[in-house]
Amino acid sequence: MKKSVDNVKYNLSEALELPKDIVMDLPKITMIGNIQLNLSNHKGIIEYTKEIIRVNTNSGVIKVTGEEMEIKTILSEEIMIVGIIEKIEIIS
Amino acid sequence: MLAIKIWNYLKGYVIIKVEGLTLERLLNLAASNNVYLWDVKRIDHTVIEMKATTKGFKALKSLVKKVGCRVEIVDKKGFPFILQTLKKRKMLGLGFLMFWGVVILLTSFIWKIEILGNEQTAQEEIIKTLKDHNISIGKIKYSIDKEKTRQILLENFDYFSFLSVDIKGTKLTIEIKEQDLPPEEVNKDYPCHIVAKKKGVIMKVVAKNGKSVVKKGDVVKEGQLLITGIINTEEDNENGFLVHSEGKVLALTRYSHIVEESIIKKIEEETGEVYKERGLKVKDKGIQFIKGDVPYKDYIEVINEKKIINLDKFNIDIPIKIVTYEFREVEIKEVKQNLDFLKKSSQIRATQEINKELPDDVQIVSKDVKYFIEDNILKTQVIIETIEDIGKKQIINNRED
Repeated sequence: MKKSVDNVKYNLSEALELPKDIVMDLPKITMIGNIQLNLSNHKGIIEYTKEIIRVNTNSGVIKVTGEEMEIKTILSEEIMIVGIIEKIEIIS
Repeated sequence: MLAIKIWNYLKGYVIIKVEGLTLERLLNLAASNNVYLWDVKRIDHTVIEMKATTKGFKALKSLVKKVGCRVEIVDKKGFPFILQTLKKRKMLGLGFLMFWGVVILLTSFIWKIEILGNEQTAQEEIIKTLKDHNISIGKIKYSIDKEKTRQILLENFDYFSFLSVDIKGTKLTIEIKEQDLPPEEVNKDYPCHIVAKKKGVIMKVVAKNGKSVVKKGDVVKEGQLLITGIINTEEDNENGFLVHSEGKVLALTRYSHIVEESIIKKIEEETGEVYKERGLKVKDKGIQFIKGDVPYKDYIEVINEKKIINLDKFNIDIPIKIVTYEFREVEIKEVKQNLDFLKKSSQIRATQEINKELPDDVQIVSKDVKYFIEDNILKTQVIIETIEDIGKKQIINNRED
């Protein structure tokens, strides 16, 4: 059932050229070099250390690996991570 | 981002340290409860440090209890906390207020009186007059009425042609323009120079007092020193003693005036052709009915106004008028004037102009008339040479500041 709803949403956004992160409630990741990462549409932090940050989203857990990372801001919609980012993994 | 930072600073924020095991859960809870947190730093395995607004901190306290952590304030920052500390340190606040009080108090006095442009009047005399009317250094500036000060000075020194009184900060500036005619006698108590009031060639210098610095045949400019009031003794060359110099300086001066007159004179002659246009006028605003081009190259415009309804008998003024614009064609004719007659008349005119400028007690030495003709224009130059006294007293020390 959920799959079909998602399909409809996907087709709709394709047809009308609507942004998918809004229509399908998917995370949007923006990076500036390797020093800053903005993640909108998150569903909560799972782990937070200087080396590993794991964030839950609709498309699975996003794991950010790096050095000296810190959360610059945290809001209900958006997280901003700064530091030296080395790797991003999506574990779904 | 800067705007947010400034806003947070004005509202005040706290740096807090949270200790516990389920710190991620606290962050999630804070985010879902709309508590704004920033600069979240991991210090230790069980400790994080972050910044929160004062409001957010209060909300966070209950959340901290829920997840079973410990919270501790590290530092308070921002404007409201500075105010709080200032409230405790009353003497500092008092000192601050006193500082401003003293600054405002000291700037409300007149600390300097500057007098500009006085050449024949001594500065001391003006200051003394002002002092007699309760204006001096050390008076509160708000008590000084500029207009009244002006009146006082103009009454006391009737030969001032222009006077401006201005207070800028703690300085009272009085700007004077003296009339060219000096007062009958410059006060003899003050030392003075004699300077030239116009340019000329020196014929004779009679120094009754003071030392002449120009000799016969010298060409002097306006404002040049003629008889000095500073007399240097032989031993001490730098600081001579000052005297009130007096004397006559006769010099040859020149006055000239040029009159231009066109030889060909234009005369307008009406041909009899008339072009008319009508318009309506209500008070001062007019409507022109037909706006056509006037069919003549040169014309005179005559405007006639006529009231539609004339009720002057009953003393009622109705401001509606009919206006007739009449354009009369003219022909321009060029007439050559008699040159000899023109020369004579323009020479008389130029001489009259010079006579207006001439001072009363002058001796006219020569009169010279020159004519030039250029592009149908006759230029007549009249030069009159005179001998007159060009000396003018100027008080010493007035120009130094």
